[in-house]
Amino acid sequence: MASVFLDKICKSFVPGKPVLRELSLEVAPGELFFLLGPSGCGKSTLLRILAGLEKQDSGKIIFDGVEISSLPPEKRQAAMMFQNYALWPHLSVFENIAFGLKIMGVSGKKLKAEVESALEAVQLADCAGRRVPSLSGGQQQRVALARALAVRPAVLLLDEPLSNLDARLRDTMRGEIVRICRERNQTAIYVTHDRQEALSMADRMAVLKDGAISQLGTPRELYDRPANRFCGSFLGDINFIDGKVDGGKLVTPSGEFVLAGDCAGAAVGAIRPERIKFVTPEHPGAFAAEIVSGTFLGDCAQWVCRSEAGILNVKESAPGERKTGDRVYLAFDDGFLLAMK
Amino acid sequence: MIFRRMMQYLLMLILVLFLLVFLILPLFTVIGEGCDWNLLMEVFRTPVYREGLLNSLAIALVTTMMVAILSLILAVIYDRYDFPGKEYCSLLMLLPMILPPFVGALGFQQILGYYGVVNTILTECGLPRVDFLGGEGKFWSVCVIEALHLYPVFYLNLITALGNIDPTLTDAAANLGASKLQRFIRIKLPLLKSGFLAGGSIVLVWSFTELGTPLMFGYNRVTPVQVFNGLMELENNPLPYSLVVVMLTVSALIYLLMRKIFGTPAGGAAVKGSMGSRAKKLGSWQKMLPVAAFLLVALLSVLPHLALVGVAFSRRWYNTVLPEVFTLSNFENALSNPLVVPSIVNSLRYSALAMVIAVVCGTLTALITSRWRLRGAWALDLLSMLPLAIPGLVIAFGFLGMTSSYAWARAIFNPVDNPLWLLAIAYAVRRIPYVVRAVASGLEQTPEELEHAARNFGAGPVKTLTSITFPLIGANLLVGGLFAFSFSMLEVSDSLILAQKSIFFPITKALLELSQILGAGPSSASAFGVWAMAFLALTMASAGILLGRKIGAIFKF
Repeated sequence: MASVFLDKICKSFVPGKPVLRELSLEVAPGELFFLLGPSGCGKSTLLRILAGLEKQDSGKIIFDGVEISSLPPEKRQAAMMFQNYALWPHLSVFENIAFGLKIMGVSGKKLKAEVESALEAVQLADCAGRRVPSLSGGQQQRVALARALAVRPAVLLLDEPLSNLDARLRDTMRGEIVRICRERNQTAIYVTHDRQEALSMADRMAVLKDGAISQLGTPRELYDRPANRFCGSFLGDINFIDGKVDGGKLVTPSGEFVLAGDCAGAAVGAIRPERIKFVTPEHPGAFAAEIVSGTFLGDCAQWVCRSEAGILNVKESAPGERKTGDRVYLAFDDGFLLAMK
Repeated sequence: MIFRRMMQYLLMLILVLFLLVFLILPLFTVIGEGCDWNLLMEVFRTPVYREGLLNSLAIALVTTMMVAILSLILAVIYDRYDFPGKEYCSLLMLLPMILPPFVGALGFQQILGYYGVVNTILTECGLPRVDFLGGEGKFWSVCVIEALHLYPVFYLNLITALGNIDPTLTDAAANLGASKLQRFIRIKLPLLKSGFLAGGSIVLVWSFTELGTPLMFGYNRVTPVQVFNGLMELENNPLPYSLVVVMLTVSALIYLLMRKIFGTPAGGAAVKGSMGSRAKKLGSWQKMLPVAAFLLVALLSVLPHLALVGVAFSRRWYNTVLPEVFTLSNFENALSNPLVVPSIVNSLRYSALAMVIAVVCGTLTALITSRWRLRGAWALDLLSMLPLAIPGLVIAFGFLGMTSSYAWARAIFNPVDNPLWLLAIAYAVRRIPYVVRAVASGLEQTPEELEHAARNFGAGPVKTLTSITFPLIGANLLVGGLFAFSFSMLEVSDSLILAQKSIFFPITKALLELSQILGAGPSSASAFGVWAMAFLALTMASAGILLGRKIGAIFKF
């Protein structure tokens, strides 16, 4: 499976308003790589540039060491799973999947076998003869995946492939896509705006903002060590605590707290709600707060607390009995209060 | 990639040149010949021409009103209710398009003539005869015949516009408390603007410049007929050119006025209704009402042609309700006339060639504007749609002017030696818009992603066109080609003006010549008209068979 290297890709549709700004990226062979970002951040454009459906203004695209920047889409072997599936309504399921194979010169028994194996991979073996419009959304989605897999692409491109499915089906398909990509050691680039999807499926991911990579890393790195406020809040709830940064510590009216990460130029501390705990007054680093409101969610509860350092969101798993107005003590998990600019 | 792009631009350049030479140049030739201030003033000073202009405008207005009301009723019924044979009923509405109106005029005279069917019924009821076709009657007859011919244009545009309205838009209005009537007036009608604009301007300009129908009724005080009659003395009187210029200007004004009234089409309803039709199912006896309405309109529109069939099969049909003596001799007479058989062959050749030219040019234009999106494609788009706004008579005159003004045009076209290319191109240029529309609407309804997917899976641009794009818009291509062909077969202006020698006459001109022979002329002409209609019906039917179950796809026009 191919490696992908993007070198300083630039693209703008309207002069002066770049969609992608000198974006560089490397994806290892067999990696399931996620591009995550809000709508309009340029992630779909990047995917279409990879597929050759848009032309970059400048920059290079290299698959496995070979530059393909100016190859037409049909020469790139970067099969795409389109957001709306783009299944050809005038062809049957079988013909849809066979299309790319036929162009590659596969025919006869081999063609049949390949199509059937692709259909089996997505568990639609008995749908080969069906017409596309007669399939349900979930089935169409799987046919689109099978069509892309059948040609054994160098790189599999997935453009928000699960956005049209209901929550349950989405969960199943997440597992399926990961399983299939792993089994085939398939290099894949997956575009989504759904952070759960990225966090749960990606080997590595990049958060995009305004056409540039905001942060790159494993889901764990990005979630636990967001590089900036945008990444921090895009990947999940996060508290920003104002104070004075002084020698690796954040000085607040509630006390002094040790900051993790690079403190140079930092202005605030950031911590995720689940990294704040309810503790006894004796606990090291404990500070007083008052519960302002709470939401019970079954397996956990979300509390809004007011402390001298400001309002804090706290997520408590296995929630205890608390009510508005209760006086409580909170403490930050060691190493999770991040310095941020 | 660069090579492909260059090829696309080259194709666009060729198309633009083609349209410049065969559309704009004729136009300028006419304007050049007719734009003489004194001559133009002469047109407005001469009472006969003034009257002709006013009559033509009146015909256009009345015809369009009739068409608008009729089509709106039918389209709303179609949109709102489910009834048995709905698709077939709608298909029936296409019928008038294949029935040449000026042939219908022959039959219409049989029905409303002084000794015709209606007057016979009146006298048998003890009432006095009415001269329907004399004086004012001619005006109304022309309007009715043209309305019955043109309403499908309007109807199809309305159906398309209605079909494009996202049903949730009216649902939302209902949800907010709007009544059925309010929903129709406040939501649907404004969204139908594009349909009114497209249908309305075509019908207005067409009825304003229609030559065949008033000619058949002998209603000579209208501009198109005056232009046609002036043709005989063109050598020493260039006034017809000025009349054409006036006609062109008025047509342009009509078009501008329509745009002013209806504005640019309301922003496209982006979300296509995937919920299926919201048509209401009707009760057992109620469901026959819409069917009856459609059948009634269809019957009305074929009535003149039925009468024509009657005339064709009868030896005597005078002062009686039905023909008295049936005969086949009219058909023999028609076929034995030296004009007839060659004219059928001629028309077939001209129209087939015209269809090929129109389909190739139209499909390429649609691809360039809706897919390749080349720089400057708007100019091609504008040029290719222009023929809808330019009356056929003007272009025909332009070609005539070209063959007399330019040696090269005479060399290629030489209408005296063989008008094949002249007529085929003249026919084709004016049918390109239909092909462009049919193909472009197909392209617009086909998500581009489907083509992107094909490219993504290894298909080159040509393979993508042949295996994905064309199959998906196959019905649209076919409809475009069919319209180009059958409209060419029925073409009047170019045919009457550009076919000069009788051995080159197409069907329409032969029909006119035949109908003007005294005595047996009208009967033979009727028989010939029946031949022509039967032939067209055969073409349409075979296309229908080709389309198979997808016949309903015609309505995606």
